[in-house]
This record gives sequence, structure tokens and C-alpha cells, in this order.
Amino acid sequence: MANLLWLQGGACSGNTMSFLNAEEPSACDLVTDFGINVLWHPSLGIELGDNVKQLLQDCISGKIALDIFVFEGTVVNAPNGTGNWNRFCGRPMKDWVRELSEAAQFVVAIGDCATWGGIPATAPNPSESVGLQFLKRAPGGSLGTAFKSKAGLPVINIPGCPAHPDWVTQILVAVASGRAGDLSLDEFQRPKTFFTSFTQTGCTRNMHFAYKVSATAFGQRKGCLFYDLGCRGPMTHSPCNRILWNRQSSKTRAGMPCLGCTEPEFPFFDLAPGTVFKTQTVMGVPKDMPAGVDKTGYIKLTAAAKAAAPAWAEKDIFVV
Amino acid sequence: MSTGETNSVLDQIAKLLANGLKTKTEPFPETEKEFGEILGELRALSPDDLQGKVVIGGFINHPFGEEQYRCMECMYYLVHRKWCDLPELAVPVEPDWWCRLWRI
Repeated sequence: MANLLWLQGGACSGNTMSFLNAEEPSACDLVTDFGINVLWHPSLGIELGDNVKQLLQDCISGKIALDIFVFEGTVVNAPNGTGNWNRFCGRPMKDWVRELSEAAQFVVAIGDCATWGGIPATAPNPSESVGLQFLKRAPGGSLGTAFKSKAGLPVINIPGCPAHPDWVTQILVAVASGRAGDLSLDEFQRPKTFFTSFTQTGCTRNMHFAYKVSATAFGQRKGCLFYDLGCRGPMTHSPCNRILWNRQSSKTRAGMPCLGCTEPEFPFFDLAPGTVFKTQTVMGVPKDMPAGVDKTGYIKLTAAAKAAAPAWAEKDIFVV
Repeated sequence: MSTGETNSVLDQIAKLLANGLKTKTEPFPETEKEFGEILGELRALSPDDLQGKVVIGGFINHPFGEEQYRCMECMYYLVHRKWCDLPELAVPVEPDWWCRLWRI
């Protein structure tokens, strides 16, 4: 049995909605098949008011063993570092976060807000939001770079806006079933099993990417979304086209550009007008190249790909 | 558009350029805002205003600049159809032409 506590800071509850849609395994499977005891969750917990407060205090004191502390949303520090804009059970949430993190065997940050600040931390960041151990790419965050939970791991970051439900439940199962030692984390403390390949890996538009045929409008079934519509699939680390959403599809498969939401900079370019759903270019050449590709190589590759493109690459091959 | 119609339009554009039509090759849209403004100008044209598209698009009938940029490498260019697939242009073009809406 592993006790799990889930709290929300500066959050929209999107990751909770995602979690509740998990299928492999489902949120119910966590309880019935994998021995996870949900101590409290904002959408599932039955305790209210002082009873929740007592439960949190018991976790901190050690009266209740806290195995997994899950946090969703940013840690809010406003105004002026007090955290009073986000109070919970009579005190700033940031204080609960620190004490519960120190008490927990494992700490898991779910979603962009908890991992690196996400949308609330977009400049000028009026809520003074940070993630648990990062603010965008900068290490530190609310708990500091040196933080390690009792089990000796830093915060396990599962980013996304929202995180895919099965990324969440599969990592929780790994931790709860004593296999945390198998988790390998990348430089941003993301589990490598999910965040080493690219969003583009498995995209049904890869043929169009290879032959440099562009989609020019949302929802088109032919063409790659990278060239014109701002898709960040070639430089974003996620398994969105390997572990499909709702077991059916993904943004890019449906004709919607990847927004790069598993990367620390999300939302990119601070959401400046003209930067969303539009590939940013300098003299017609993309500012952000596919990972590992330089400008000269990209131009050469484009010339070769265009010259070699077969006729079918220019047609809609997904015939209804 | 049938093959005959496509060829006819391609000939018309080629003649316009060969006859020295002055087109707006500059300024090159360096930002998305500038790019969008040109698209806005194109959208304001009558759909059959071929010369307007050629002028505002900044068409030339040869590669551009030291790097010899040309339609052939542009992401909007469909090689087999010899077609510019940018919705605001949507015209047949030769691979060695170029316009200021070029992107790679």
C-alpha cells in the first residue's frame, strides 16, 4: 500500500481532468490493482476544512506515512514572496508544498505549471509563479536545486498542458510498486522513457515532413505542420504520437500544430501576437530548426527532398 | 483548374514578367507581422486579379540573391504540379522563379 496525496496550486485542474481519463492504467486501477491509497485529492477527497488540515499535518509529522506527494499547478509566491494569493487550509500553499515535499518519499510534479511554471509564469508573471524545481529552464524553483525527497530522487517532472493521463498513472504505478529505481530522468527531471523521443516520432505526417510538403491551413490532412503553422513536433520531447490521446489520435494527426507543451519554455515567445500557430522565420528560414539540424544542412536537405518528392506526397492520401 | 487552364495562367504570368512588369520584391517580410500584412493585401484582391497577385507577391522570373533562392525549394511549392500552394497566391509557377513570400 502506498499513500498518495495530491494538491493543486496555481492550476486550472486540467491535469486532474486528464488523470481521471487515464486508461492504461486507469485512476481506479491505481487503487484496486496497484495498492495506491489516495489520502486526499481536490476532486476526489471527501474530507473538508479542518479535517483536510489535520490530514496534511499528520503527513508532515509522520503520523501518516506519505509515500507519494503529487503537485499540480504553480507554486504561487505573490504578493511579494508571501504566497498569500494562494492560501489553503489557513496558510500559503507554498508552505504546505515545502513541508509535504520534505515529508514525502517521492514528489511528482504533474503538468507544466508544477514542473516549470507554465502559462501562469509567462512574463510578467504577476502571480510570481514557479515550478517545484524549475522556473522555465532555470533550475531552482520553489524547492531549490538541492532538494531530494526521502527516497533520494529529485522531483519527478511529468510536463504537458495537460500531461497525458497514462504518463501520470504509469509513473505513479512505477513509484508505488517499488520500481522508482528503474526511472531514468533527463536534465529536466522528466522520465526518459516518455521524453527522449520527439512528438514527431510516430506522426502520420512524417512523409510530408520528409518531402517538404507543407500544410497551409488547420485540419488539412496532407502536408506537414512544421513549415508554416508553427508545429514544434520536430523539437519537442514527448510520446504524443506513440501513446495516443484518448487511444485515438494526437494534435498533429488531427491537423493541429504541436505547441511544444512538454518543454520548459512553453508557452513559447511569451505568447506575443503572431507567434502562435505560425512558424517563426528569419528571411524565410525557420528560427527553430528540428533538433540537431543546422541551417546549412536544412537548406541542402530541403533542396534534395523537394527534388526527390514523389507525386503522391502532394496529394491527400488519407481518402475517406 | 484543368491542365490547359493551368498552362494558360502560367503563360500569362511568364509574359507579364518577361515584359518587365515591376513587382514588389521589397521589402522582404522579415517578421510574421510583415508577412501577414502582405497576405492581407493579397486577400483584398479580386480572386482573378492575376497581375495584382504577381505584383504584391513580388514575383521574379529567376532565382533570388547570392544564395539563388527559388520556388523549387520553397515549402509552398508543389513540384509535380508546378504550383504555389500558398492559399493567397494559388497560382502555377516555374521552379526557377521566386517571390518575397518565399519560405523554406
